[in-house]
Amino acid sequence: MNQLTLAVFVLMLGAGLCLLPASNTIRAGIGLVTQAVATLVAWSVVIPVLFGGPDITGEMPWAYPIGELHFRLDALGAFFLAWSLPMTLLGSVYAVGYMQKYFRSPRHLGVHFALLNMISVSFLLVYTGEHAVTFLFGWEIAALAAWLLVIWDYSNKKVRFAGFNYLVSTHIGLIFLVAAVMILYSRTQSWFLDDYGDWLRQNPGALRNTVFLLLVTSFGLKSAFFPFHSWLPRAHAAAPAHVSALMSGVIHKAGLYALVRFLLLSGKPDEWMGWFLIAFSVTSALVGGLYTVGQRDLKRLLGYSSTENVGIAGIGFGIGCLGLTWDSPALVAVGFGGGLLHVLNHAFFKCQLFYAAGCVYQVKHVVDVERLGGLFRLMPVTAVCFIVGGVAISALPPFNGFASEFMIYSGLFGNHGTGMWAKLALCLVAAALAFVGAVSALSITRAFGVIFLGNARDASLPEGHEASRWMLVPMAIHALGTVVLGVAPMLGFAVVAAPTALFMHGMPESVATGSLQSTMDILVRIGAISGGLLLAVVLVTWWRFRSGKSPAPRQDATWGCGYGAPNTRMQYSGASFSTDFAKNFRNIMVLIKRRKAPAGYFPADAYVITDCVDAVERRLYSVINHGDETATDVSRKMQEDDSRLAFSAGLAALVLIAALVLLAEGVLP
Amino acid sequence: MKIALTLIHWAFVLTMPVLLVGVVNRTKSWWVGRKGPQLHQFAFDLRRLLGKRPVISTTASPLFRAGAYVVLICGLLAASMIPVLGQFAPLQFSHDFIVVAYTLGLARIVLMISAMDVGSSFEGMGAAREASFSAYAEPALFLLIGTACAATGMSSFADLIGQLHTTPHYAIIVAPLVLALLILLQAEAARVPVDDPMTHLELTMIHEVMILDHSGPELAAMQYAAALKMTLYAGLIAALLNPFSPLSDPVAGIAASLALMLTVAIVVGCIESLTARLPMRWVPAYLMIASVAVLGSMLVIGFGAGSV
Repeated sequence: MNQLTLAVFVLMLGAGLCLLPASNTIRAGIGLVTQAVATLVAWSVVIPVLFGGPDITGEMPWAYPIGELHFRLDALGAFFLAWSLPMTLLGSVYAVGYMQKYFRSPRHLGVHFALLNMISVSFLLVYTGEHAVTFLFGWEIAALAAWLLVIWDYSNKKVRFAGFNYLVSTHIGLIFLVAAVMILYSRTQSWFLDDYGDWLRQNPGALRNTVFLLLVTSFGLKSAFFPFHSWLPRAHAAAPAHVSALMSGVIHKAGLYALVRFLLLSGKPDEWMGWFLIAFSVTSALVGGLYTVGQRDLKRLLGYSSTENVGIAGIGFGIGCLGLTWDSPALVAVGFGGGLLHVLNHAFFKCQLFYAAGCVYQVKHVVDVERLGGLFRLMPVTAVCFIVGGVAISALPPFNGFASEFMIYSGLFGNHGTGMWAKLALCLVAAALAFVGAVSALSITRAFGVIFLGNARDASLPEGHEASRWMLVPMAIHALGTVVLGVAPMLGFAVVAAPTALFMHGMPESVATGSLQSTMDILVRIGAISGGLLLAVVLVTWWRFRSGKSPAPRQDATWGCGYGAPNTRMQYSGASFSTDFAKNFRNIMVLIKRRKAPAGYFPADAYVITDCVDAVERRLYSVINHGDETATDVSRKMQEDDSRLAFSAGLAALVLIAALVLLAEGVLP
Repeated sequence: MKIALTLIHWAFVLTMPVLLVGVVNRTKSWWVGRKGPQLHQFAFDLRRLLGKRPVISTTASPLFRAGAYVVLICGLLAASMIPVLGQFAPLQFSHDFIVVAYTLGLARIVLMISAMDVGSSFEGMGAAREASFSAYAEPALFLLIGTACAATGMSSFADLIGQLHTTPHYAIIVAPLVLALLILLQAEAARVPVDDPMTHLELTMIHEVMILDHSGPELAAMQYAAALKMTLYAGLIAALLNPFSPLSDPVAGIAASLALMLTVAIVVGCIESLTARLPMRWVPAYLMIASVAVLGSMLVIGFGAGSV
């Protein structure tokens, strides 16, 4: 515990020092050094816990009304801390490159690095907090720090709006969480998560179901599940690339952590909870996947794919819940193991994709797919990192996304002794997941093909070149992780084995280790196949391209069907790539088309602009606007100085409170 | 025994693409009253292409040339897990069908990226169609496998296809499953009515337009991979119908498999001769027939499980 306290102290000290009057270079240096030190210090305790060491607990006296603060680092928290801290460090390294132009400007960069440190502090609080207040406190630090990081470019009105949108949404999530904690507190008179767990285990029924729904809503908002995702695409598009990467890959995983934590606490769930979680997650995966298809803004596209991927991880957790209900250790192992592995894998490839998008933005100053093109030859490292991440995010072998989805699929096709209808229902889920996989392959091909392949579409943009090393190195490290976890998924599973085993503490030791071992064996085989595939591709490509043998190919123009004057704007664009597919889903995706058709004998100006806007967000704003108008209308009709109105309102309030007290009889202490 | 079957499996998988393409073309020629090319004409074509010096677009990146080989390797990897002979595959383990589907998925994404690589709008159009049609086809395959998986209680591809004819409702579900696989074959192997390999109009092609800029050995790899994919699906249909198990009755099993695969090729050829390619906007609906057919057999199994 002392090491964790030290890590928090180092990070806070670093955050404080970053604010001192010094040059921006020194401030950034302080931020990076303290993050690196804190990561190493935290690792020294996290790694042993992760590989089966005993839990680490700590207590700290605190003033009334909070009382004693309890911290506990168990395998689940250790798993999340083990990669969250170093990935935040890599994000801070990337920030040095991304923020390069501000180093010599009067902007205070220290604040930015201080906030990145605070993000790490929030991880330490949330992932070890045993006391509801420290948990909520860490949750809030993460939300505020992320908000302030998003609005780095605050002079832009759109960015401020996106930030505000995020801030409001995340606090709506907090309200649900607080409501759940209030119910639990009223029942247990305790602030400790362990006591909540005891209560949840012993009292199945309506109240537990309410708590479950409140918690899923809150964590769903944090992790941007559909339909609570509407803040996400805006925030991701507005934030600097490394902030988007950290938010999507690391910070919002806290929502999934909290979900898994509460599932772990509440013991054996009811069967409907597993099915509910699966249905909720499948919807998220489907809608998130569909929305990636039509996006013009690369960072919005990646944002929606977060919604899709938390959905996929959520399916894993749902399978795990069903496994708990049905007492099937194999299902628990592939469900929770696969879900957690997908969380880790997603952190690797999603940050990598956002970093690649940031590199493109850095040199081209736009991330609009329709204006880019042909970047492969100018930015080969970025392009290769992007396509590696893209193949991984489409869950294709030989990279890491495949391993975790394979586990989730094997849960869906598993042979557990349940009814035929349950099997067939899970098979439908698998079909939905296959659809999501094909859709994300579509949107990644579209994004990669339009941005990196072909020819440049807009000559007015600056000349492309590779971005600074500060940005390439973190991206390449993530890419390396994606490849390594792809060809050796057993390494990833070794990390998630201990947290998965926590779910099996009620089962006999031999059964638990047996099911973990058999999952491990499957992953070894998957790793061998992925590795073999990668090796075969490398060998054949090398054999084919080795110099000196067969004559070099002749270069010529692309087949133009006899047309002699092609122009780079004639290439297939992002919109043309996706329209045919998106048209079939116009009930879910709102495609807005603005066009000016050519008219007259010598048409001068004609255009078609297709854009995909968020249906939930549109609906939300139309409802809010509507409510706003209604409220204005009502307040205009009311005469505020009318004493009859005041008295009747007071009476109504009294009756309502009395009714609530009567209804809650026995609930209140 | 296993070694002999493995050798026969590979012999099948490697030679049948040539033969099946020959049979399809012969059938089409027969319908129009021509003599048609030799059955192994495709092998001559491939050999001719292998000897040629490729021409590559100046726009293409290094991914372009590597792409063709990735597609071929993926096809071969999938071939090692698909039970073309019935209840046997050289590489067999639990849930191997997921690896098959996603390996073919990798082949598809690489093919689409190679198509996008030359910056031609024709090839972009082909890639977009391939991407969107595969999104409709993929769930059907998973539903089909899931149905077989639930019906047999097996978990590897070869077992669940091979054991299916021992299940109580085999006689009812086999027809919709074969129909679904045939539609998937037409979609994945780019045959009429989803795609027409013989058309010469870029605007109406899917697979052929994506490989417009490939030439020489790379084109050979792409064409062979496409024919291999048709073989794999034809093999799956054969395995689904094959009443003999290659493990207990090898000679009959292999002969039946060969005959069934050739029959599938003849059926594909007949459909190609007798129907026209569907308008592009109808293709999603056509592909949905596969999913609906499988859903029907799922219902049969679901209700059947209650009554048995």
